[in-house]
Amino acid sequence: MAELVQYVATGLLVGGVYALMSIGLALIFGVMRVVNFAQGDFMMLGMYLTYFYAISGRVDPLLGALLSIPPFFVLGWLVHRGILARVTGGDPARQHDAQLIVTLGLSLVITNATTMILTPTPRGIPTSYATQAFAVGPVLLNQARSYAFAMALVLAAAVYLFLTRTDVGKALRAAADDPEAAGYQGIDVRAMHALAFGTGIALVAAAGGLLATYYPIEPTVAGNFIVLMFVAVVLGGLGSIPGAFVGGLVIGLVQSLTLLVLPFQLQNTGVFIAFLLVLYLRPQGLFGRRLRAV
Amino acid sequence: MPSRSRGWLAVGAVLAAGLVLAFLIDERYHHRVLTLVFLWATMGLAWNIISGYAGQISFGHQVFFGIGAYVTVLLVVKAGLTPWIGMGVAVAAAVLAAVLIGLPTFRLAGIYFGLATLAYPLIFRIVMDWLGYQEVAIPMKRDDPGWFMQFTEPRSFVLLALGVLGATLVLSRAIETSRLGYRLRAIRENEQAAEAMGVNAFRGKMAAYMLSATPAAVAGAVYIHAILFIVTPDAVFGLLVISQTLVVCMVGGTGTLWGPLIGAALMVPVSEILDSTVGDRLPGIQGVVYGAALVVITLYAPEGLYWRVRHALRARADRAAAVGRPPILAPADEDGARPGAGPVLLEVRGVSKAFLGLQALSEVSFEVREREILGVIGPNGAGKTTLFNVLNGFLGPEAGEVRLLGEAVTGLRPSECCRRGMGRTFQVVRTFPRFTVLENVMVGGFVRERRVGRVRELALAALAQVGMAERADALPGGLTTLELRLMELARCLATSPRVVLLDEPLAGLSADGVDVMIAMIRRVRNAGITVVIIEHTMQALLRLADRLVVLDQGRRLAEGPPGEVTRQPAVIEAYLGKRWLARAGSPS
Amino acid sequence: MRSLARMLAVSLALLLAVGSVYVRPAPAADDVKIALVAPLSGRWARQGQLKKMGADMAIEEINAQGGIKALGGAKLVLREADAGDSVEKAVSAAQRVLTREKISAGIGSWLSSFTLGVTEVAERLQVPWLSLSYADSITERGFKYTFQTSPVSSLQAEQALELVTDLAKKNKRPIKKAAIVGDNTAASMFFYKPLREKLLAAKGIELVVDDVWTPPLADATAIVQKLRSAQPDIVFYGATNFPDSIQVLQKVKEFGVKSPIQGVGAWLVTPEYVKTVGKETLDNIQTVVATHPMKGQEELVKKFVQRTGEPFMTQDPLCTYGHVWLIKEAIEQAKSADPKAIRDALAKIDLQSGPAANSFYPPRIKFDERGRRIGAIPLIVQWQGGEPFTVVPTAVATRPVASHK
Repeated sequence: MAELVQYVATGLLVGGVYALMSIGLALIFGVMRVVNFAQGDFMMLGMYLTYFYAISGRVDPLLGALLSIPPFFVLGWLVHRGILARVTGGDPARQHDAQLIVTLGLSLVITNATTMILTPTPRGIPTSYATQAFAVGPVLLNQARSYAFAMALVLAAAVYLFLTRTDVGKALRAAADDPEAAGYQGIDVRAMHALAFGTGIALVAAAGGLLATYYPIEPTVAGNFIVLMFVAVVLGGLGSIPGAFVGGLVIGLVQSLTLLVLPFQLQNTGVFIAFLLVLYLRPQGLFGRRLRAV
Repeated sequence: MPSRSRGWLAVGAVLAAGLVLAFLIDERYHHRVLTLVFLWATMGLAWNIISGYAGQISFGHQVFFGIGAYVTVLLVVKAGLTPWIGMGVAVAAAVLAAVLIGLPTFRLAGIYFGLATLAYPLIFRIVMDWLGYQEVAIPMKRDDPGWFMQFTEPRSFVLLALGVLGATLVLSRAIETSRLGYRLRAIRENEQAAEAMGVNAFRGKMAAYMLSATPAAVAGAVYIHAILFIVTPDAVFGLLVISQTLVVCMVGGTGTLWGPLIGAALMVPVSEILDSTVGDRLPGIQGVVYGAALVVITLYAPEGLYWRVRHALRARADRAAAVGRPPILAPADEDGARPGAGPVLLEVRGVSKAFLGLQALSEVSFEVREREILGVIGPNGAGKTTLFNVLNGFLGPEAGEVRLLGEAVTGLRPSECCRRGMGRTFQVVRTFPRFTVLENVMVGGFVRERRVGRVRELALAALAQVGMAERADALPGGLTTLELRLMELARCLATSPRVVLLDEPLAGLSADGVDVMIAMIRRVRNAGITVVIIEHTMQALLRLADRLVVLDQGRRLAEGPPGEVTRQPAVIEAYLGKRWLARAGSPS
Repeated sequence: MRSLARMLAVSLALLLAVGSVYVRPAPAADDVKIALVAPLSGRWARQGQLKKMGADMAIEEINAQGGIKALGGAKLVLREADAGDSVEKAVSAAQRVLTREKISAGIGSWLSSFTLGVTEVAERLQVPWLSLSYADSITERGFKYTFQTSPVSSLQAEQALELVTDLAKKNKRPIKKAAIVGDNTAASMFFYKPLREKLLAAKGIELVVDDVWTPPLADATAIVQKLRSAQPDIVFYGATNFPDSIQVLQKVKEFGVKSPIQGVGAWLVTPEYVKTVGKETLDNIQTVVATHPMKGQEELVKKFVQRTGEPFMTQDPLCTYGHVWLIKEAIEQAKSADPKAIRDALAKIDLQSGPAANSFYPPRIKFDERGRRIGAIPLIVQWQGGEPFTVVPTAVATRPVASHK
């Protein structure tokens, strides 16, 4: 029994950071209908920024993760203005293709430029809490992952409140639901897209910062997470913020519980099988709305 | 679309150019680059069949590439079977995989489909590692290299890849110019409209998926023998394979065989040139420049280079052609002989449908007689469009039955309803935007006819019937609302329907437009086709309909000749009382 | 749109400009060119860079000593080609570098799957190729131009087990229970396989934990928990993906697992480990490597540290350093820069001293008919105070073994 609880706890802790990584992606997809392949690379940049905060400014990485939000919001805003705004916002059915390649290109540029500038040598932020645990009865909760989980929860809640309680957030959702109608109501859809992209990038950068408290940093680190992010977002229902959060947690849980039934080597097949099952049973994802037939 | 022979000539020219290049080039490395161009073009063309033509963007197409590679290599390693035969087995395995993946996955639409397909190659990748096939080297067969596809002369690989590319080009071209090609593109452009025009979207997608698995598997097998010499799960099932495929297709343009060809011919050499000039000296820079090139090219040509150039050329031609298009006039009224109503054609019995607890239709029953014009009226939200969706199969009713010519059609796919003679237009016109007007109409024509040439004639006749013959080559984007509605009507007529369901065909038309449309609808009926028409403008229906069915809040309120129905107190109270009077004053 | 077209044109022009700037200076005609095909960008760029450091150093030394004497003092030149992060790129790089210029011999490509592909090219073009990759399959294909200086994985397992059981006996802590923990990359799998199938049983050792994952590892809790409860006397450890390994080591510290860790491969002794998990966590962790600086190479290591700024020297640069010297010796013996002649010289060579021989253990280079170095055995390296030292065999050890607490 204790063992099972430990598996569940571990899974949830792992899932917490997946969840925060994924809500940024979900926000971008929900508002802009952009499948952003470069999302993981922005996360990697967030890890580096937190690293440099920690190394040169002695800023604790948990705080560093928060401090990376403003610069990455600006970066996201600029990337949208300079590049993505040119291929989004028009007829959505026809521009998926272009976005895919633009974000793929961005991803290549970011990874390779980082490798060249910051060298491929992996780095890490040595934190005391990465190798310590809270003991709750017989169950051990890794401290770094627990902090990261708590902050992920807070940030996700903040985003959710922002979207549902503020005027700007409501305008953002209106622009997501029906850009045309939102435009008629005087909402600047383009600005909303820039806001969504900036926020989405800032969130994933913060997730990177939290990840960096226990995970080493290298230019190609995105490859270890990007697929899981997509799975979480689709699992939760494309574009749904609570959905993506739950999707992230579910992935962590499935990864952990898969070990009880499948050989370790097949751990991630558990995730993909769960992913396919959810889609077959609920094609719109856990929290997605079903689209009208006609 | 260029004329048929010109297209085949162009394919031939490409292959001839490839052949000439293969013999002009002398350096081994250049042979390798050329082989890569051909193989990635092939992989792009394979992807293009399901994702370009049929519009089902697949992020997991490398699953077939990988199956092709692994099956072929494992057969060589374990059974000593020549890859020439092994490839056949691999193709069979890939097609089987396509069926098994497609069956559940085609239930998903749009980007959900794409992201779901991503899971399959990733599962395969993990399973291959688990099975211990991390690195499978092809055993060198020094005695019989040709039989084992181990040529020492690199030109042999170029020719092999060119052969594979040629076969895939021929396949693509054959699809493009066949009924299947029109149907796949119709599914891509507008799945619902395609279904309503008799295209079984599921079957179409499945056919495309199976066809596209074939060249992908062959490309995978050849890729291993010509390029890698070993197979690893990551090299064939990994994300790099699909991103290369996407790049090749989207840079060149999807939905045409020229796109992947252009994309591969441009991007593969660019990548290799970058590797060999700057990459070895300043590692990483090639990735930066290549990525930036992708961004810049996409900003320049979001729809792909092929379409960018084509649209630029076409826009010039269109501007020249647009001058002096005569307006469409109402045909002389052929009202003279109103044919009498015949026996019952369509029977609706006790149909009910609810959405999330909201009763959209409750126990609606009525009959449609042959050669009559039946109007269905009711305020917004009365359930009119829902009724049509139930009639032609977009929705299944919870209760009740629909019978066409005495046979139950309830629960059939829209495409099957269409095949049985039920045509349909939509409240908001559903065009196939990248098809010309003629091609739009042709999609309908394929219901009864397979030969493209014959369908073209059929479609032209249907266009002429609604006065749109002169617009045949225009794109829907440039049409007026009236022209769009007429085009949709013609498309519907091209299916040779017994009955047509017209969903608010007068909405958004000018007064003149309404006259044209009404005359056309009469003409349709006079040709012996039964018409069911939804409207909320009573005026127009009074002029047009033989009988009316009034719906209110999902219930049938009244049925009968217009004169009688409008006098019924319930109708006046529920519907006409306020709304008709209010509407009568405003232009419709 | 017009501005975009201009942008496109400008970018293309820039591309060409950059390209032309980086066109190499033409070497003198009688230079002898060696190819290094290694991942210099992408996921494994770090390893490629380390390899290049070793090669550069050897080339500088050789040229400073007057180049190749048999060819009238001809200089050695390194031609590196970026193997990137896929087999396709690696094989392309080999094809490119071998057909563009007259290359006398080649080195690479670190990852065994890359090496398998690259050596195919070398075999077809008849250029001798030196590899440090461990995989048995590299020299099982009957190739005539491939030479493997490392002991192959399957032998490494046998020899490593011998070495660690001896060590354990000496320390009076015989090994009764063993664990296998690591990823399923080819090199690691080749190592575990004989352990599982026969070697452990033959020594009467029980395998108590056998957990192999597909990288990347999501979380190490489950694995380390098993280690904690099973308390093996040795953990054969193959987490080649750096983040995976860090997660396991952090978890080992968190859970206070005391079982000795015996790594399989040189990935466990890179400098970045110190900065990421701290030297205390690393202390006493051992690993089996194909080679590592040995007694007598102190000068070499000092020079390497000075040139590169790396804190210490490891297998990857040392191997390429030795390879370049080995090629130099082969050219001297062949008295020719012709790849076929060099291949024949390599097949016959028997070096027992000099920088090449001293870079490997035992210090003798002679290849069998398959291209494997005869007598090659691995070394055991141990972390001590944030630096890895060769500890076994004692003849070349730079430090005595520190026993586990």
